[in-house]
Amino acid sequence: MTVLFVVLGYAALAIFIVGVLAKVWKYGKTPAPLKIPQTPAPVTASGVPVRILSEVVFFKSLFKSNRVIWLAGYLFHIGLLLALIKHYRFLFASVPAGLDYFATFEMYPGLIMLGGLGLLFLLRLVVDRNMFISVMTDYVLLILLIAIAGTGTLAKHYFRVDITQVKEFMMGLVSFSPMGSNSTFPTELIFLIHFSLVLLLLVYFPFSKLMHAAGVFFSPTRNQVDNPREKRIVAPWAENLPAPTTDVEEVAEAHGQA
Amino acid sequence: MGSFEIDGKTYETDDDGYLTNLDEWTEDVAKYIADVENVELTEAHWEVVNFLRNYYQEYNIAPAIKILIKEMKKMFGPEKGNSAYLYDLYPAGPALQACKIAGLPKPTGCV
Amino acid sequence: MADTEATATKEEPKVLTDLEKVGEPIVPRKKPNDIHGDDLVGKISVPKVQEGAAAANKPYLCKSENMQKLGFPGDLRTDWHDAAIAKMGELLKKYKSLQVYMDICVKCGACTDKCHYFLGTKDPKNMPVARAELFRKVYRKYFTTEGKILGKLAGAERFDLDLLGEWYSYFHQCSQCRRCSVFCPYGIDTAEISMAAREIMDHIGIGQKYVNDIIVKVHEVGNNLGMNPKALKATLESTEEDLEEETGQKIRLPLDEVGAEVLMVTPSADFFASPHVESLLGYAKVFHQAGISWTFSSVASEAGNFGMFMGNYSQMQKVASRVKLAIDEIKPKRLIVGECGHAWRIAYSFWNTLIGPFDSLDPNYKRPEHICEYTLDLVNRGAIKLDKSKNDDFVVTFHDSCNVARGARMGDKPGGQFTIPRELIKASCNRYVEMDEETIMEKTFCCGGGGGLLTDDLLELRVQGAMPRMQAFHKVQESHGANFLALICAICKAQFTKILPKYGVGMDVAGGVHQLIANAIELGAKE
Repeated sequence: MTVLFVVLGYAALAIFIVGVLAKVWKYGKTPAPLKIPQTPAPVTASGVPVRILSEVVFFKSLFKSNRVIWLAGYLFHIGLLLALIKHYRFLFASVPAGLDYFATFEMYPGLIMLGGLGLLFLLRLVVDRNMFISVMTDYVLLILLIAIAGTGTLAKHYFRVDITQVKEFMMGLVSFSPMGSNSTFPTELIFLIHFSLVLLLLVYFPFSKLMHAAGVFFSPTRNQVDNPREKRIVAPWAENLPAPTTDVEEVAEAHGQA
Repeated sequence: MGSFEIDGKTYETDDDGYLTNLDEWTEDVAKYIADVENVELTEAHWEVVNFLRNYYQEYNIAPAIKILIKEMKKMFGPEKGNSAYLYDLYPAGPALQACKIAGLPKPTGCV
Repeated sequence: MADTEATATKEEPKVLTDLEKVGEPIVPRKKPNDIHGDDLVGKISVPKVQEGAAAANKPYLCKSENMQKLGFPGDLRTDWHDAAIAKMGELLKKYKSLQVYMDICVKCGACTDKCHYFLGTKDPKNMPVARAELFRKVYRKYFTTEGKILGKLAGAERFDLDLLGEWYSYFHQCSQCRRCSVFCPYGIDTAEISMAAREIMDHIGIGQKYVNDIIVKVHEVGNNLGMNPKALKATLESTEEDLEEETGQKIRLPLDEVGAEVLMVTPSADFFASPHVESLLGYAKVFHQAGISWTFSSVASEAGNFGMFMGNYSQMQKVASRVKLAIDEIKPKRLIVGECGHAWRIAYSFWNTLIGPFDSLDPNYKRPEHICEYTLDLVNRGAIKLDKSKNDDFVVTFHDSCNVARGARMGDKPGGQFTIPRELIKASCNRYVEMDEETIMEKTFCCGGGGGLLTDDLLELRVQGAMPRMQAFHKVQESHGANFLALICAICKAQFTKILPKYGVGMDVAGGVHQLIANAIELGAKE
């Protein structure tokens, strides 16, 4: 059991890291041949991080767009952030300074997540426009996240999983000595489900729309400086581009229709 | 693409009913298109049609509406050289409807 | 194939070719006289979705001769499927926007009620995310692990003729106005996606008649109208006569004058159509009164550039290269662009890339300048004087053109594209009123005719797409007696002139910003 989950754990983590880095690499190297910032946009490079952070931290555009979706999305993401922070204690022998502050009071991050996720799910069912654009994976992903948040909350507050054992196991994983003497896979079913679902999420992440987490930093409408009159850009593929063919016979030949 | 037939001869038009080949235009063609457009061609209508055709022959494009009005004014006096008069003759708009009857292609662009 | 009224001989129903199947609307188009706008109540409401409500909207196909003149196949390629996927792969590598926007949409729904075409047609495939999904379905199927494994469960679909038909319909129901992008948490820009879709369609032999015919005309004659230099010269001379008659002064409209200080590039509609030509008079009066030498060019007699609408970099560059030729020929110090929305986006954002750098122009001025930037500067410096009372008949409101509002800027500060035209308008009239704040500036609604859709075969879509703007205008018409919709775009001008009557509003309500300037400017000796 322990061996199986150790292997699965490392495999999932590897897929997650390699997958995300591969996508980020692709986004980074693909050229943006034209200036397309959505204006009004920052006119200096220093303004760009401010713009992007206002999206990442506050979901500014979403707030402008739709308060209900904003609330749902924001609750979920804040809950997720708090939950991740609280998971620190499973990964570090001593909790880093500053983070222990969060351990001093209960925040029920799982419940915050569940609230947001539930609202997101409800929106897909209730609003005809959202229903129209939703496919199976959109629902499944929400269900997966709900299950993760749900089992996590249950493990913490209801089933009272043996925290020490979890910590030993996790620290074994992160210190690359997973088969240490005290490090055995916790046997509680609720933890097993929670842990398995998280692995599933990690594996699915790089292949799914969850890549928005990285992609948001690469969106040309948001990360470009509004200075096209002052600064000329040309993509490598667009340098010395030949003028398009206009000769009718040449065209027919090029498309195999001569 | 569309087409119509007069006296056994087929005339090609574009999707909107404008004559494809300007050179095929005859007075009968004009009468036919006018009929489809619910316009009864009077002497006054012909004045416009003839001006448009002459202008097109010289410039390869229909005249701007302002020029049409001005030239009509020069040739036939102020009572014919105004927008209301032209819209009266060609209710769907002198630029589009009169051009169609005159066998001119439809003006396109941001107009 | 369209069964026009002019068709006398009824043809036997014939078997459609694949190309015709793609181009034929599923539901027949309405006749122009049967198309009417919604009732104007001053309120923009979000409709319940009606699937297929806009299925009648497909533009005419470009004929094979003009397709080939643009370097595209003259018919639907027999290997269109493979060719389309290959082209998609190429574009994904060339455009960061496309690659990123394919992956990162979470389908949150924020954009679903932001598109004027959805609000007007009620067709859910006109919701920005649903429009983009038409592209993503294919992307997922052929380019993602998720789509290859999960197929339809992940919203991945094979590219077949039916889906291609939907592409042709719905990617020609996007005016590339970028309003959805403003409201997207990631700035996903549907314009980028619809441009890529159109480029792919052209590549496999499906082009849109209106846009492609016009680009052929630009290449062959020099402008969207197809007005040759001789006709242009005659038209400008005639307009000079009008100006002299009106003002008693010799106000010039120079053409091809080598060595002029300013090269003026404006949409060709300004030479030809109403109310566009009223702004042309405005430019001429401004230059005259400023005492600056200036000229149009018969080589660059078009500011518009429909290459952007078809999403084709090379075509856009080729159209823009005329401006470069004109600069080399005229040798001006300054380059000024007239009232045209997408043209200003291209001039401001793309010219430097496509035909720059503009080293021969005077670096003390913006390269290029918008005519509103130029005129407002003259007003602020007192170099021209405006008599506001000349526009006392009007209660003016300003319609921000989408490409100017969200794809460009004026002046030095972010948002100058909003403040500069407004300051200019307010300097030329006494009564100005702003429309609902949800419909102006960066949230402005497209006129309904942008992005290469300003064609009568899409008239119903144009009328429906204008609904949000018409409702907002109606509100200030009722509350403040607004009777002049000030515009800085040739497409907006043509669109509103045609559409306003469909909503029971007089077409003369639409006019240019420089039309107001033309009315108000004090000509004659300076103090």
